[in-house]
Amino acid sequence: MSRRAPVITGTGIICAAGCGVASVWDSVRANRSGLGPLTLFSSPRYANHLVGQVRENVDELAGNVRGSRSDKLAWIAAREALAAAGLEAGFGKINSERVGMMLGATVGGMLGTERFLTALLRENKHRFGPLRFHECAGAADLCAKKIGALGPVATLSTACSAGAMAILAAAELIEQGEADVMLAGAGDSLSRLTLNGFGSLLLLDPNGCRPFDARRTGISLGEGAAMLVIEAEETALARGAKILARLAGWGASCDAFHATAPQAEGRGALAAMQRALERGQLQPGEIDFVSAHGTATPDNDAMETRALKKLFGAAVPPVSSMKGFFGHTLAASGAIKAVLAVQSLHEQAVPGTPGFEVADEKLGLEPMRIFCALPVEHILSNSFGFGGNNVALIFERADSSCRSRREEAHSKKSSSQSLLTSAATKRGFAILGIGAVSAAGNSLMEIATTFRNGGATISPFAIPTLSPTEQAKVYAAGEFGAEQFIEPAKRRKLSRLQQMALVAARKSFNFDLADVAPEKICVAVGTGLGSLTDTAAFVENMILKDERAPRPSLFTSSVHNSLASQIAIELNFSGLNSTPIQREISFETALWQGATELTSDRAELALVGAADELNQYQLVAGMRWGWWPEALLKIRPFAGALKNRERPLPGEGGAVVTLGRAENAASPLAFVSAIRIGRSENQNAETEARWILETLARDGIAVGELDLLLTGANGLAQPDDFYSAVAEALSKLAGKKIGCGAYMHVCGEHHSASAFGFVTAVGLVRGEIAPEFCTADKTALPGACRTVVLLTFSPTGTKGMCCIRA
Amino acid sequence: MESLIEELKAKIIAGFNLEGVTPADINPDEPIFGTGLELDSIDALELVAILESDYGIVILERSVADKAFASLRALAGFVAANRT
Repeated sequence: MSRRAPVITGTGIICAAGCGVASVWDSVRANRSGLGPLTLFSSPRYANHLVGQVRENVDELAGNVRGSRSDKLAWIAAREALAAAGLEAGFGKINSERVGMMLGATVGGMLGTERFLTALLRENKHRFGPLRFHECAGAADLCAKKIGALGPVATLSTACSAGAMAILAAAELIEQGEADVMLAGAGDSLSRLTLNGFGSLLLLDPNGCRPFDARRTGISLGEGAAMLVIEAEETALARGAKILARLAGWGASCDAFHATAPQAEGRGALAAMQRALERGQLQPGEIDFVSAHGTATPDNDAMETRALKKLFGAAVPPVSSMKGFFGHTLAASGAIKAVLAVQSLHEQAVPGTPGFEVADEKLGLEPMRIFCALPVEHILSNSFGFGGNNVALIFERADSSCRSRREEAHSKKSSSQSLLTSAATKRGFAILGIGAVSAAGNSLMEIATTFRNGGATISPFAIPTLSPTEQAKVYAAGEFGAEQFIEPAKRRKLSRLQQMALVAARKSFNFDLADVAPEKICVAVGTGLGSLTDTAAFVENMILKDERAPRPSLFTSSVHNSLASQIAIELNFSGLNSTPIQREISFETALWQGATELTSDRAELALVGAADELNQYQLVAGMRWGWWPEALLKIRPFAGALKNRERPLPGEGGAVVTLGRAENAASPLAFVSAIRIGRSENQNAETEARWILETLARDGIAVGELDLLLTGANGLAQPDDFYSAVAEALSKLAGKKIGCGAYMHVCGEHHSASAFGFVTAVGLVRGEIAPEFCTADKTALPGACRTVVLLTFSPTGTKGMCCIRA
Repeated sequence: MESLIEELKAKIIAGFNLEGVTPADINPDEPIFGTGLELDSIDALELVAILESDYGIVILERSVADKAFASLRALAGFVAANRT
């Protein structure tokens, strides 16, 4: 276990305070703020606000890469981190399957999407190009491709704590043995959406943020990226890499309190810090410096101070907020602070708090004003996001002797506990309930009927902005019982997608939770694209009304992690809370996060799922590009009927499943194990079959037990032929026929479709859905369908799998 | 002033889809937020957007909003003094 301790061997950074660790550290030394005028785009309402804009030419610095500004910022930081770790020329003896990528993001390509919408709404020009780079997953996909990473690759969105959450997840993957080297961090560019959004919440300070100052009124928005190379200690030692620092502890929590405001007493923040200390086997007195979240909003700084005083009592160590150097860089914030924490440990000096001048008597806490030398062995770095998504990380000097304490504590646990599911029984995790919202129905019984009937009904979808006369054809989720499950006062504040996810979550358990402590319930619900309709409405309003009267409620639901956090708020679950946003494997990533919390005993229950909704703008581009042929109405997996640019019809929906540890489950629906995410290049069926076999074997499942491979086949020759080839390769390995199935003909194509696939798999192993309604040849399997592997590839190569058993 | 108070009541009921709430249910001398109407801080910010759309009053600081929303009567006074 100790050999798997996560260590940091490289860092990279780009932000308003400089490009490169050395340059940023120069600014930090000189206590020089990088805040300045906004020139990246014009904003009539906030033209005079200081922002943390990166002044270098980002396109030029990024070199020959295609992507959004956020993607490019991330790549610039990634390149520096790899070079610092001595990995710029490749990974040498390290197998690329052992190299992964975990990024945080919240803005993604919004800046380009705003340009698309401005041209469309203002000049009726159809410039769809930037939409290709809209998704937040772009940065992880770009970086993974550049370095050829074939291990776990994913993106997490927990708003302003996403960068820290990504680092936490990377550390988990290293400890579990899922990867040897992880590139972890985050990148977010400035955008009009976030500027107007924070403006609508009255959380901007036009003249530059003043963290912990008595006169503070809000944040300065910033942009940037930071990356860390995190590897298992044994890997770093084996290749002779210099260990810059250790990641000693990490902890996450959810306030389960409010969409944007922190819980005033800092309950969640305190829990995250305590969990990080516990994980690191450290006492509060061993923390030498706190790198505060310190956004300079009145509420955050007051809450954070209270939480620090509760944790440290009268002996609060020196505290700084670095937001005055580069602004609030949202998802990137936690990653930038991580890089600077590593630098502080190396330099034995800590940054000051630019912007702070007048102490706030009500706080009774004065941060460090300027850069100063300080002996530091442990640095606590806080990141708090909307929805009360809190993450605390503890960085440790490379030569600290405290690591032996952790080794001792870990050696007391059984050595097998590092693997993901082995801590649960051999059967895996118990599926205690499922909730679904889909075109095919909202319960397993309805969905089974739709399978029997050969698929869901196609319905028209209005696209008024492009054409008042045309309609798209879609697999729309109909009424899903929002009125029944959510009271009116709450419903009016939630986007349609949030309502879908909340209804699915409420339906995913039908037992009393009174015996389970709220902090023992984790929520990981992913989304490919988030609440598109509310996001579009906010941006439309911003463009058409020249930024007048921005709508705060639309902004709060535009934040991806409003999906998972509102479930926590409604149901009072305060364990880890996360919204993975990795295109088609958002659900699988959520499943991995939930399983990780269960394995480690931090959670007793995990609600995992994913949801996506249709929106006219997403349909506009596809219609223009000729994606959806009139003649081929229904998705027909494995039929090979779609040609050229044609695509399967889009759908929407969501599913949430409640998982528990198998030994505690009274009457589970089924079991899930062999949960894994990864990435592949040059898809080869034999390689993928071996990946599945190996993953099953880790959890003690023989490939011969497998009855059906349930896939994301959608009617396109690619991926359908590939999925079929994988099933054939598995059949060869198993020495028996393994069926190849699909589910998209029932739910439509969308980023969260595999969550629906999971529900389908449960129906299959329970005998409620007959396999012939899923398979290409429509023939029944030779025996009962007891074991199903759910396999999902995204077009960018990321993949996920799990095994569902009766 | 009384007519402005009634106008604002109507805007609050419509703007926040307060089903089943009548103007008479809103006491003009009570705080608008955090009381019986179940309106929270996001609603307060939505009201800021309504004031800008409907009365041309731009609020950029929370302290200004907090004072204006002390009660419906205070809000009516604020609107009367600042509308454009």
